[in-house]
Amino acid sequence: MIKLNTAKDGETGWVASIKGNTRFLNRITSIGLTIGSEIEIIQNQEKCPVLIFNRDTVIAINRSECEKIMVEVIER
Amino acid sequence: MKQMTIALLGQPNSGKSTLFNGLTGSRQHVGNWPGKTVERKEGYFAFDGKNYTVVDLPGTYGLSANSEEEIVTREYIASGKADLVCILTDASQLERSLFMLADYTGIRTPVILLLNMMDVAEQQGKEISSTSIAKKLGIPVVPIIAADKKSYGDLFKTLKEPETISTMLDENILSDLYKRMERGVFKQVFSLLPEEGIGVYSSSWLAAKLIEQDSMAMEVVWDALSTDDRNKLTALLSQVRDGSLLTGDCKFKWIESLLRDSVAERKKGAPKRSRFDRLATSKTWGKPLSIAIIILGLVLSMVIAIPFMGLFSFLLSALSLLITHGLSDAGAPALIISLLCDGVLTAVTFALMMVVFVFGISLVFGFIEEIGYMARISYTFDNTMAKFGLQGKAIMPFIISFGCNIGGVTGTRVIDSWGQRVTTMALSWVVPCAATWGVVGLVSSVFFGSGAVFVVLSLFAVALLHMVITSKIFGKQLIKDSDRSGLIMELPPYHKPKYKNLLRFVLNRMGDVLIRALKIIILVSVLFWALSYTADGNVENSIIYTIGTFIEPVTLWFGLRWQTFMAFIASAMGKEAALGVLASLFNTSGEAAGIWAAMSGQAHVNTSSLGGALLTGISKAEALAFIYAFFFNVPCLMAVASTQQESHSVRWTFRIVGYYIVTALLMATLAYYIGLLIF
Ligand SMILES: Nc1nc2c(ncn2[C@@H]2O[C@H](COP(=O)(O)OP(=O)(O)OP(=O)(O)O)[C@@H](O)[C@H]2O)c(=O)[nH]1
Ligand SMILES: [Mg+2]
Repeated sequence: MIKLNTAKDGETGWVASIKGNTRFLNRITSIGLTIGSEIEIIQNQEKCPVLIFNRDTVIAINRSECEKIMVEVIER
Repeated sequence: MKQMTIALLGQPNSGKSTLFNGLTGSRQHVGNWPGKTVERKEGYFAFDGKNYTVVDLPGTYGLSANSEEEIVTREYIASGKADLVCILTDASQLERSLFMLADYTGIRTPVILLLNMMDVAEQQGKEISSTSIAKKLGIPVVPIIAADKKSYGDLFKTLKEPETISTMLDENILSDLYKRMERGVFKQVFSLLPEEGIGVYSSSWLAAKLIEQDSMAMEVVWDALSTDDRNKLTALLSQVRDGSLLTGDCKFKWIESLLRDSVAERKKGAPKRSRFDRLATSKTWGKPLSIAIIILGLVLSMVIAIPFMGLFSFLLSALSLLITHGLSDAGAPALIISLLCDGVLTAVTFALMMVVFVFGISLVFGFIEEIGYMARISYTFDNTMAKFGLQGKAIMPFIISFGCNIGGVTGTRVIDSWGQRVTTMALSWVVPCAATWGVVGLVSSVFFGSGAVFVVLSLFAVALLHMVITSKIFGKQLIKDSDRSGLIMELPPYHKPKYKNLLRFVLNRMGDVLIRALKIIILVSVLFWALSYTADGNVENSIIYTIGTFIEPVTLWFGLRWQTFMAFIASAMGKEAALGVLASLFNTSGEAAGIWAAMSGQAHVNTSSLGGALLTGISKAEALAFIYAFFFNVPCLMAVASTQQESHSVRWTFRIVGYYIVTALLMATLAYYIGLLIF
């Protein structure tokens, strides 16, 4: 299990846990990220938000918010 | 005739405004939500013997009550003013965009589901069976392409059916999912609530929102409970920490079950990214590309605006000539002629120019947003702008402001949170526009020769400091801590632009912009005209001269003589006005026109003789004081009018104006005393 901000381009996996205050949880679930949902890392470069693909949508998430999201990477 | 109100609800970019414009055409009214700073758009159309009122609700991801937009949406839906709610979803991202429907389930106002962007879904090879979804939901489900009016047939057919406004969304499946939630919290909360629900809300909906720690739901429930039950509820809820995750999980499970056997897809997985998108989001190339495109956009909007500006000023000066001749032939007094031609007509010219420029900017930057590139700009500048507590998109108004502050303020429209938008406007005023450099360049080179470079550098350094401090001061009141939470944003796929929709969208606003601009600008212009009016053209007979010389002892504290102080005041109307005012107040040769002509930028200024007059008129320290006062002053009357227009708040517009005048004078004072030390 790794933090989302340490994931590498092209990795796929599913969301294992999300931490944070009510507002953050509200925001992140309403855009489609829930526990168990599948994601693919599209681009993760230093100092830029992390780009992921989830439920047919490309989503950009700020790096510090990514630290609150744990991902179980699926080995290929 | 019968009357019916329809509310359009949906996540951002689901196509609400496109449908709204498609349905109502130009029969629209834009205002504010009472007591709120969120824009309220209402439109009208008639069909099959009925009058329809359509309300375009602000785009929000769900129905929690975190932002002002969400609160407006929630309150409107709870008010029961809508006879029918249309929830729009993006068929190409159906699973995600159905979250709004899931969040709505349990609210007992009739609802229909619109599957928008069917054209995009089709291109992606998705086959969606609306009948199968409709059967599961128990409400009409209508496929549509909001951008194509020819596809509205099914919607109209549905509106015609009498049962449309009586069928309710079936909440049982979702409520059963909630009831199976771990630890049984939902069941326990649910059992405390009245079985029949409260108002438009069902108990299941309220229980879910309570678990999400929603304060508005708590208010609704509180009054309906006994003291004993209140205590039980508080105790229960204090154990739930991640309520939104629990309910979110149920909502998406519900959506997945809804879509099972209803959607057939060709392929899954992330789409291939284009070379351009890689470049646009690259760490090294993303920023320069954004800046280049914004500058290109600025130039383009100028190209669109300039011919119109030329046309308007030509027409208005012809009109002014006509009026002057007509009225003086009819024997009207000179005062009236001057009021009409100099005061009112000048204001009309100003307002028209502003509208034309706003038109150009809205069109070009609406285009950039429409094709999906704006989200990339936001992405690349997220980190930089976060230092000011702002979104990445804020970079755009800042860059546009180097061309013109009116454009910068208009450009803040793409920022989706009101607090962030107003803070960005307040900050963008610092950015010196093209006209500012004309005056700064002239005055500083006259007084400091090659040392002017240092003056300019110092201005830049102080401007940056100003921005940091301003962002702290305004941000503290305008941007809630929770708003500062970093970017979570959808990067939409690149779209082909819908030119017709875009043009209609922009044109619809312009009438409104013009009317509001005219009101403010005429008022202020006439006031200034009255202050500077003289029957014989001699400055010393104007009210402005009397006031100016009277308060000079005070303005001297700031290092400003009465002439430079008046130029400072005039530059709040338009930066380029400062030169003309200086010229006429210092009585330079070749300057026959009155000060009003100078202020409204109609007089020709002889810069070399002005330079000489300035050198003999004021000291170096006073010149520095003027440059600083001028540079940090309110950008122009039209930028003020646009700020009021875009912020929907007179109060905040006044605050920003006051703040700028005070800080400008403060800067002038500092510059003056530092100048006294140096020179
Ligand atoms: N291809 C296609 N594009 C559409 C359709 N409907 C809307 N669009 C485009 O989708 C984008 C978003 O549409 P808007 O109408 O601005 O969405 P909105 O729901 O009002 O968004 P917010 O105001 O941000 O909540 C625009 O670029 C539209 O041109 C459609 O049916 N098909
Ligand atoms: Mg809209």
